[in-house]
Amino acid sequence: MTRKSINAAVSAFALAAMGFGPAHAADPGATGDTIRIAMLEWTGAQITSQVVGRVLEKAGYKVEYVTAGNYPHFQGLADGEIAVSPEIWLNNVGDIYPKALEAGQIEDLGTLGLQTNEGWIYPKFMEELCPALPSWEALNDPDCVAQLATPDTLPNGRFLDYPSDWGSRAATIIADNNLPLTAVPSGSEGAMLAELRAAEAAKTPLVMMFWAPHFILAEVEVGWIEMPPCVDQSNEHCIMPPDVNKVVWSGFAEKWPAAHEVLKSFRLSTEDQQQMMLAIEQGQSLEAVADGWIAANEAAWRPWVDAALQ
Amino acid sequence: MTLPRLTRAEMLWVLLLAASVLLAALAHVFPVLRGFPAGLTLPLADWANAVLTPLVEALRPLGRLVSAAVEGPLEAIRAALAWLPWPATVLLVAALALQAGGRGLAVFAAAALGLVVAMGYWPKAMNTLALVLISVPLAVGIGFALGALAHRFPKLQPALVVLLDVMQTWPAFGYLIPLLLLFGFGPTAGLAASVVFSIPPMVRNTLVGLRGVPPAIVESALMAGATPAQLFWQARVPSALPQLLVGVNQTTMASLSMVIIIAIIGGFDDIGWEVLSAMRAAELGRSLGAGLVIVLIAVLLDRITRGFAARGRRTGRRVLWIGAAAALVLAVALAGQDLLPGDAGQRSLRRLDGWLLDFVAWSAPFFGLLRNAITYGVMLPMRLGFSGSASPMVWGFALTPAIIAAYALASLALALWLGRRRPMRGIAFGFAALLVWTGLPGFPWPGVFALAGVACWRAGGPGLCALALAGLALAGVSGLWAPMMQSIYLCAVAVLISFALGGALGVLAAESDRFSALLRPVSDALQTMPQFVFLIPALMLFKVGEFTALIAIVLYAVVPPIRYVEHGLRSVRADLVEAAVQMGATPRQMLWQVKLPLARPSVRLGLNQTIMAALSMLVIAALVGTRELGQQVYVALSKADAGAGMIAGGIIACIALVADRLLRTPGEAPGRTD
Repeated sequence: MTRKSINAAVSAFALAAMGFGPAHAADPGATGDTIRIAMLEWTGAQITSQVVGRVLEKAGYKVEYVTAGNYPHFQGLADGEIAVSPEIWLNNVGDIYPKALEAGQIEDLGTLGLQTNEGWIYPKFMEELCPALPSWEALNDPDCVAQLATPDTLPNGRFLDYPSDWGSRAATIIADNNLPLTAVPSGSEGAMLAELRAAEAAKTPLVMMFWAPHFILAEVEVGWIEMPPCVDQSNEHCIMPPDVNKVVWSGFAEKWPAAHEVLKSFRLSTEDQQQMMLAIEQGQSLEAVADGWIAANEAAWRPWVDAALQ
Repeated sequence: MTLPRLTRAEMLWVLLLAASVLLAALAHVFPVLRGFPAGLTLPLADWANAVLTPLVEALRPLGRLVSAAVEGPLEAIRAALAWLPWPATVLLVAALALQAGGRGLAVFAAAALGLVVAMGYWPKAMNTLALVLISVPLAVGIGFALGALAHRFPKLQPALVVLLDVMQTWPAFGYLIPLLLLFGFGPTAGLAASVVFSIPPMVRNTLVGLRGVPPAIVESALMAGATPAQLFWQARVPSALPQLLVGVNQTTMASLSMVIIIAIIGGFDDIGWEVLSAMRAAELGRSLGAGLVIVLIAVLLDRITRGFAARGRRTGRRVLWIGAAAALVLAVALAGQDLLPGDAGQRSLRRLDGWLLDFVAWSAPFFGLLRNAITYGVMLPMRLGFSGSASPMVWGFALTPAIIAAYALASLALALWLGRRRPMRGIAFGFAALLVWTGLPGFPWPGVFALAGVACWRAGGPGLCALALAGLALAGVSGLWAPMMQSIYLCAVAVLISFALGGALGVLAAESDRFSALLRPVSDALQTMPQFVFLIPALMLFKVGEFTALIAIVLYAVVPPIRYVEHGLRSVRADLVEAAVQMGATPRQMLWQVKLPLARPSVRLGLNQTIMAALSMLVIAALVGTRELGQQVYVALSKADAGAGMIAGGIIACIALVADRLLRTPGEAPGRTD
């Protein structure tokens, strides 16, 4: 038995065990037509796109990477101008995504497999200023809050929130727990990163809303605040790790059936993505890093391809 | 002390002031007078969507057709530029530069493009160039046609002028959603926004050019028996050509600036996308490098088109042909070779980020102090007013009746004293004192309506008054009153600072040729550098919030006053200056009593342009966390709410139009005493 067929057997078994049923070969479909993959603005999504693209190439497809803005690209997905967007953070999709999903213009292919995290972070040096950290109780300590206060928020401490257009629960949670903080919307991701870097460099206190995996976490050492108990488990009052899913154009399954199967089984782990982010941060090119993943992880992607094609 | 007799206009302003004071006092008791009442809002955005959605749906097939028609040539140009090896492109551009502006420009072109290659931005820069090469001919063609049409039918002109102003001031992000629905995801939507933004200068210059054709030329053409077509193409157009080329130059610059902003859509991997990605990752080095590429391209395009505009039609294009031939030979010889350098340039750019962080760490105490001083001293009083910010926490004392009375009495006394000879001064001071008391956003809304209505009526007649009131009503009824007042407040502070700073720099530049030469490249860079680039250092030094937004706006809006004040002072007639010198004017008298009054039209135009620049930055400044209309535009974008985006953008355009007309029409606005 060749290694390939062992892999195929293992993957068939694995898929059966996971409840997918026996692997059935799918028609490759229009392999002559290029599959256009969205490359969104952040490093993590670009890595995922490049890796997905390479796996699809291994399955015999032609791919093209299209740079795209997060909100505008949903229109492209809905029209089929973009075929796949492999890393969509469901906590940051505005109203565009549910609208398109409801209209049947896009199809959600389920989780990408990233272990995500979301919550309140602070640069690690703050544990000296507010000894009660990482407990949320630290934010009730007047000494700690006084260090966070700015002219805009006096007498409260300043809490850096997500941009207004992302929607955020921080203000609600602050109110739920009567914390002496004022949530200030940050305007953009770049603004949040700039503040975090500056806070670390100048050792100025900062508490902000953030998420993981993110490349900045390899650069700045942060702590995650242990959150107060939620008033109720709704999305309004409670922060839960966001889902990150793969989304395709609704006509994808019909045009490229086998690629559809590959995408359904595609997973990328947080550790792998973070390692690749770090490599890029250290000066490697995106393409080289993605090639490296493909070379090192054949055992992971070969079964997806084989199961779809054989 | 006897009060002077008041004219009727002055009486009106005194009455308005009294009414405003009364409203402000009442607002402390009846909060309904402060913000626009929530009970009066209507679901305007939903209505707008109800109209827009079917309209866009109906136009969609047409939009997609346009997309297909545009993307063919765009793809061809992009492929050609990507195929051409960079030495060939550089040679070609240098030959063009030699033809347009001589040897110096050719050397500059070669050096600038060489730098682009070295920094590792060549493919992205060429993609941007492809976008500009498509958008400029479209804008020039449409603009020329519109201008010629308006020249032929002068009745169209007033409506056209309003349309052009709206096109230039309506923020592109406000109509991005309908554009995406219409043209689909891809470069066409961005190109459409860019064309819309860059048509107006072409129309304006076409009109000016055609109007300025000497009647003698037209007459002699008619005498020679020219048909209408011949008259237009062979007599009018050639003699208007220099002005038309100025239009091409301005259209090119406008197009380039919009192509960068609209890169937010993505899909073209151009230099604007690089700027946005770098902003998103908060990497100064990368964004500064990309920004520099844009500045270099802008300066090159500007000097080359301006060179051709100045020379008009010139024969002797041998240099150009030789250059083109050499470029072609190079292209064939080098075809397919990968000549681009590695990412060494990118790596050295990234080193900048480390330096910036070191600087931030070193300078944090100083910039923290500066930020607090301006926040306490300027921003908070302007936003919350004296009445809102006077608390033991902020200023060290509470608002007691005694302090209120003292403030009122002191203001009244000062206003009377200032107004004893020139009543308008006292009245203007009275308004200022009231504004400082309530804060701009807290000024009672009926007062805002009354003041805007009267000021616009007196300055521009019933039309302007109706426009201003409609804009205010739109903001109030759509629930955007507070963001609108925030926008006006942020712009007002920014314009005050920019105009004072830029005016002073302009005065210095007019006095010294050396300083002027030093300042010009700085102004060029500030005006063409994508504004996103300024945001990163500003954020690190001053944190998220209004103050950083203010810095970003000022950096952009400071350029027009520098240019216009310098230009105005330098064009004061020499004989008048001479006369003043002979009368023994001191340098100070010369500046304040001779030159500045004579340069007033130019200074006024500079103020006008400062306001326009500040308003256009609102949407960019929203990226550092503000609470104004620009932020509303983003919120609408994230909700895919076309109607809400159009309304927020429309209010910004409305403010810009009213401010422009108020300053353009000389009239009796408050504060004008002569």
